[in-house]
This record gives sequence, structure tokens and C-alpha cells, in this order.
Amino acid sequence: MLEIRHLTKIYDDGTVALRDVNFQVPDGEFMVVIGLSGSGKSTLLRCINRLIDPTEGEILWDGVDLAKLKGDDLRNMRRHIGMVFQQFNLVKRSSVYNNVMAGRLGYSPTWRSVLGRFSPQDHERARQSMDRMGIMDQAYKRADELSGGQQQRVGIARALMQEPKMILADEPVASLDPVLAHSILQHLERLNREDGITVICSLHYLDLVQRYGTSVIGLRAGQLVYQGSRDDIRELTDEQFKTIYGEEAERIGDLTGGIKGTVGGEP
Amino acid sequence: MSSNFGKPIDAQKPSVVSPAAAAIISLVVPGLGQVLAGSFRKGLVLLASLTSIVALWYWRVRLVGRLEPTFPQAVSKSFYLQPILLVVAIGMIVTYLWIAYDAYVTAKRAQTTSGFVVWTLILFLFFFLGWQIGDIRPVALVRDAQDAGPFMMRILWPWDRAISRPEELLTGTVKVQTPCVEPVPELPQEVAGEPYISVTPTCGDLSKQSEATGTTLTLTGRNFAPNAETEIWWQDDMGNEFRQRQAGEYITVMTDENGAFAIDIIMPYRTIPQSDTREFALWELQARQVASLGAAEPSAELLISIEKMVETIFLGMMSTFFGIILSVPISFLAARNLMSTSWITLVIYYVVRAILNIIRSIEPLIWAVIAIIVVGLGPFAGIVALTVHTIASLGKLYSEAIESIDPGPIEAIQATGANWLQTVMFAVVPQIIPPFVSFTIYRWDINVRMSTVIGLVGGGGIGFVLIQWIRLLDYKAAGIAVWFIALTVTILDYVSAEIRARFV
Ligand SMILES: Nc1ncnc2c1ncn2[C@@H]1O[C@H](COP(=O)(O)OP(=O)(O)OP(=O)(O)O)[C@@H](O)[C@H]1O
Ligand SMILES: [Mg+2]
Repeated sequence: MLEIRHLTKIYDDGTVALRDVNFQVPDGEFMVVIGLSGSGKSTLLRCINRLIDPTEGEILWDGVDLAKLKGDDLRNMRRHIGMVFQQFNLVKRSSVYNNVMAGRLGYSPTWRSVLGRFSPQDHERARQSMDRMGIMDQAYKRADELSGGQQQRVGIARALMQEPKMILADEPVASLDPVLAHSILQHLERLNREDGITVICSLHYLDLVQRYGTSVIGLRAGQLVYQGSRDDIRELTDEQFKTIYGEEAERIGDLTGGIKGTVGGEP
Repeated sequence: MSSNFGKPIDAQKPSVVSPAAAAIISLVVPGLGQVLAGSFRKGLVLLASLTSIVALWYWRVRLVGRLEPTFPQAVSKSFYLQPILLVVAIGMIVTYLWIAYDAYVTAKRAQTTSGFVVWTLILFLFFFLGWQIGDIRPVALVRDAQDAGPFMMRILWPWDRAISRPEELLTGTVKVQTPCVEPVPELPQEVAGEPYISVTPTCGDLSKQSEATGTTLTLTGRNFAPNAETEIWWQDDMGNEFRQRQAGEYITVMTDENGAFAIDIIMPYRTIPQSDTREFALWELQARQVASLGAAEPSAELLISIEKMVETIFLGMMSTFFGIILSVPISFLAARNLMSTSWITLVIYYVVRAILNIIRSIEPLIWAVIAIIVVGLGPFAGIVALTVHTIASLGKLYSEAIESIDPGPIEAIQATGANWLQTVMFAVVPQIIPPFVSFTIYRWDINVRMSTVIGLVGGGGIGFVLIQWIRLLDYKAAGIAVWFIALTVTILDYVSAEIRARFV
């Protein structure tokens, strides 16, 4: 179980991106984070695997406070947490295979991996991950030759290499069209259901939130303003939506029940 | 006051003085009127501009009229020698007055073009001063352009200097005595294969200016080069020599196909030395041939040029090589995005950056002079100098390439639990290879070109011989070197473009 307590992040320039956020994520959840652009979703996800150092608060994961980890402990923790990005963050000029393999770096001895040498088991694992994501045929292409949907699947395959207990997905489908968005989220859902990987995913499309999330939290200006189950989000009232998304939300039609409705700044 | 920087006049505080007062104040201290009228920056810049113009003008006047004892005399002398200084002087007065007028309108907050006029005046004054300081003489450039012609021709087409034929001077010698007093000299012993001449008689009288012609000698020669011109020379017992003329023309005789000849010559006037009045003298009569042996071969200059060009290319290559090896690790320390993780690394970043900037701002030529002091003349000094400069310039270019990489993959690799080295190898290196290759080729290009220049101060390579030939006024040999440099640079240009297209 992941438990966030009093999490606060103030950037060097004084921006308060998170303000005393508290919530829990039981193992095996598919938790969706919603909120306007700039509400602190990315900051929250990056605090969990410490790509960003929180200013205050605790991030307890199975009793260990991730916020206090340093050096090797920090890296050992990170390799159990996969991360998927909106911009895929693949190394564009490297092959798909090498990108996937990079997910194994945390487990590999430095010198061997730096020379590009991995154990046979790792190679086997890479094949399995790519096979699972349906990108086996693209293995030796350069990552930037792939379509957006394929690139994101490479991103997930890379995360899979980490044998993660949790995957953090920061708007993983915001750069993809709706059909691809479903395909990617279905992959994540399968990992969540079949492998029991906890997924924390920020999303902008309301229909996707309702379709995939097993629980939801809403951020507004760095504060937790909503917390609910999948059923809860179907019953979100206009009032509740306004607290999350502010007055702009009103302009976008049938939000609460709408399958095509979008929320937030992006279409 | 400083808060007025950059704001238009309208936005400024009201003038603290009346327009007339501003004008008068600007007459006392140019620009001060504008300052008091609220145009702080403008006033200061005007003051600084006018002061520097006056100072520059004073310096040039003193320089042109340096032989004059007093300043006024220096002024009139310099106006006479360099009328442009008079133009500047008039311009200065006009500008000075205009600044006062400008202070008036500035204080009045009038919308005029006065500011534009005053800046234009100052610009022109700087231009005229620059013309005078730069000693610009377009007339001389055009009029005397053809003076460069002969040199340019030799440099542009030096190729007859690129081949040489081995030559040998064949000389046959026989003694002739004046006048005929016993014992007369004997004919020399003939050595098989050596050029040999004999003369009859071996004594006689020289021609005299007034009287009769001298004795006729019959000269025969053997063992010379066949079908070649042979010259007749005289040499006195003091070593003075002259080539004999007859009826105003130099005497030459062609050898036959066996290398033999025969010719009658009249003994010359006694002309050398003029002061020599001795009656008795022993002369050496010589037949000389300049014979070319064998086929044409590359001249020494051509061979040296080729050798030195190869040396130059390797000089550039080695310094590029050492430069890369050393600048790659340094560039990582000079990349802000990698070094901003803690304050210690940030300090290292600033120190490395500062050192690189200092090294880079010193020209390779100066580094070469320093290197020569340390390791002596020769290619190694050039390599050291270019390597130092390469480290600084590649270090900067590389680190900028590192700074401009996409941080996304780095974040992603970090998130997998990879350590620093793994992150660099997997996320940074693949991104920086194309710019690194491109910058490296660019630098190689520069280094080969620079290594020709490095030679000029003694850093080895072709520049070294080039400057020597130029100093010896051997423009054709210099031309050969220039051709090789041009050729190499052209090829290099092409090759580097090719490699870059391949890699990037
Ligand atoms: N490195 C940073 N330095 C300073 N402020 C930052 C930094 N990164 C983010 N912020 C600020 O923190 C706030 C939260 O940003 P964050 O990226 O977490 O929002 P978000 O919900 O992910 O938005 P989006 O939907 O646009 O991705 C914003 O006001 C943002 O401007
Ligand atoms: Mg974000």
C-alpha cells in the first residue's frame, strides 16, 4: 500500500505545486489523477519515485518512507516503480530493443551494462516484454521511426523490464488519438489486472477516467479536492466538478455522464 | 534616475530645468542638460560619445603633427596633411552645438527629429575617425593594384619551379701565358672521359685598345656533352674571371655529336683587373658547358611542400585527436544540466567554464609561441598549441550540445533505477553523438587550416617553409606551398561535408 501524507512541494521559484496532500493507494488499484493543467499532477507522480524531491511530507510504501531514501536505496526503490510519460521519453536515436533494455539498468552491473552487455535472462525478458506489447517486429528500428502509439508501447515495455510493483503514468495518452489511447490504457489495465501492478495514472479525458480508473483523486492548485471510487466518479455532481476543474468546466457540455466529454485545458 | 532606462521621453519624469537652462548646461557639459531634462541615459551616452570623439581627434592630430612644437601648429599641420581631421573638427563643433539644441527640445518635451540628427552626426564622426585611424586609401588600392601582379602571377602559377633537371658544369682548362717568354706553359695531361681542351699556341699577346689585335689561338676540345653550347671563359692568376666576347657578342661554340669542338679565338683585351699593369701573366683559358643529365625530376621545393603538407595534415589530425580525448570528459563537467545537481558540482561547472573561456579567448598563434618556448620549434609545438585551443573550443561546443539534449529520456532512464554512469551512457551519449561528430569534423577542418598558420611562428608544418620562402622572396616556391594548402583545404572541405552528411 502506498500512503501519501502531508505531501508538499514548493519549487525553488516559490511555486507551490502540492500543498499538504494526503491519500492512500491500496495495492492493485488503477488510480486516476485528474485536475486542470498546472494543478500538480506531474509533480505528484514525480515525487513518488523521487524524480522530484518533495519539500515536506511522507511517501510510505509498504512502511518505507520513499521521501527519505538516498543513493543506492533510492535507485533500488526506483527500479520497482515503472514510469510512463506523455512524450514517451524514448532515446530517439537508439533502437527499440535498446530502449526496452534500458529498463533493466537498475538490475545490471554498471560496467557490463555500460558496454551494452546484459544477461541472457535479460534478453529473454526483453523479448517477452516486447512480445506482450506487440512491438516485436519493430525491435531493431530506431525509436523515432515508430508511430506515437508504438512508441508508448515501447515505453511500457521498458517499464515492464523493471518487474515493477507499481507504474506511474503521467498523461500516457495525451499525445495520442482516442483509438490509440484506449489501446494503451488497455495494456496498462491488463498489467494491472493480470500482474497485480498498482497503476497511478493522470488522465485528461473523462470517458477514459470512467472506463479504466478503479479510484480517482482530483487535484486543484496543488490541493487534494476530490477522492472517490470508480462508482463515485459516475455520480460526480456539477458542484464537485467545479471544485476540481473550476469555472471553465461549465463551458464543456455534459461532463458528468458524457463519454466524449473532456475536462481540463486539453481537448 | 536609473529607473528611466529605456523608457520613451513621454514616460519620463518632468524636466527639472527649463529648456533654455538645459541648453546652456549642455553647452557647459555636453549631455548634462539632457540628464537634467530627464533623459538620463541619452545624456550620458552623448557625453561619453563626444568625449571619446574629441580624445580620438586630439590623439590623431598630435600624431599627424608630431613634429610641430605647439598644439595649434600641430592642428594646422594635421589639417593640411589630413584634411579629414578638419572635417572631424567641424563635425565636433556642429555636434557640440546640436547637443545643446537637443537639450533644449528634450526639456521642452517636443517631438522632433533632433535626437536622430545628433546620433547620425556622432555616427559619421566615428566613421571619419575610423577612416583616418585605419589609414584607408582606396585610391592607392586601385592605382597600385598592378604592383601585386608579378608576385601574384608567380604565386598563382609556380609550376615550372616544381620540376628541376639535374645539371653539371663541364669545364676544360688550359694555361695561356702573355707574352711569349720561355718557358711557355705546357698542355695539360688528358684524362680519359674528362673534358679536355688544348690550345695552340699556349702563349701570345693580348689585344690592345689602340694597336693591333691579339694573337689568334686555336682551341680544340674533346669529351664534352654532344651538341651543346660551350662558353669560353678567361681567368687570371688572381681568380678574376670573365666570359669572352668577340665583336660584342659572347663567344659560344657548339660541340659535335662526339662532344668535340674546335674554334679560333683572338686573345682579348686586358680588361681584368683594370689596375693590373703587369706585363707578364698566366691565364687560364676555360671552355664551359652546362649540361643537363637525365630526365626532369621533382624540385626540392615540390618535395618539401609535399612533405610539409603531410606533416601539416597530421599536425591538425593529432591535435584534433588529443583535443577530442581531453575535451569529451571536460565537456560533461561544463554542461549545466548535468552539473546542477548539487552546489559542489555547480561550483565545478563554473570553474571549468571560466577556464575554458579564458583558454579559448587566447589565439592558437599565441599558444604556439608559448608552446615553442616549452618544447622548442617544430611540429610538436604546433600540436600542443592546437590541442590546447581545441580542448577549449570543443569543450564549449560539446557541453552546449549536452545542454541542449532532450531531458525526457534522462528522466526516464533515471526512473528505471539506473545510476549516473548508466544514465549518461544510455540517455545522454546517444543524443550527443550527432552533434559531437559534426563539431569534431568542423574542428578538424579548422585545425588543419590553423596548422598552416601555426607554422608561420615556427610551429612546424607547411607554414614554416612558406614564411621562409616568402622572406627569401622565392614567390614561386611559396606559390607551390600555397597551392598545396588550397588543395588540402578544398579536399578537407569536401570530405568533412561528406562525413557530416553521413553521420548527422
Ligand atoms: N521545475 C519547476 N519549477 C518551478 N515551477 C514548476 C516546475 N515544474 C512545474 N512547476 C509549476 O508547478 C505547478 C504544477 O505543475 P505540474 O507540471 O505538476 O502540473 P500538471 O498538473 O502536471 O499540469 P499539466 O496537465 O499541464 O501537465 C505549475 O504551476 C507549474 O508551473
Ligand atoms: Mg503534467
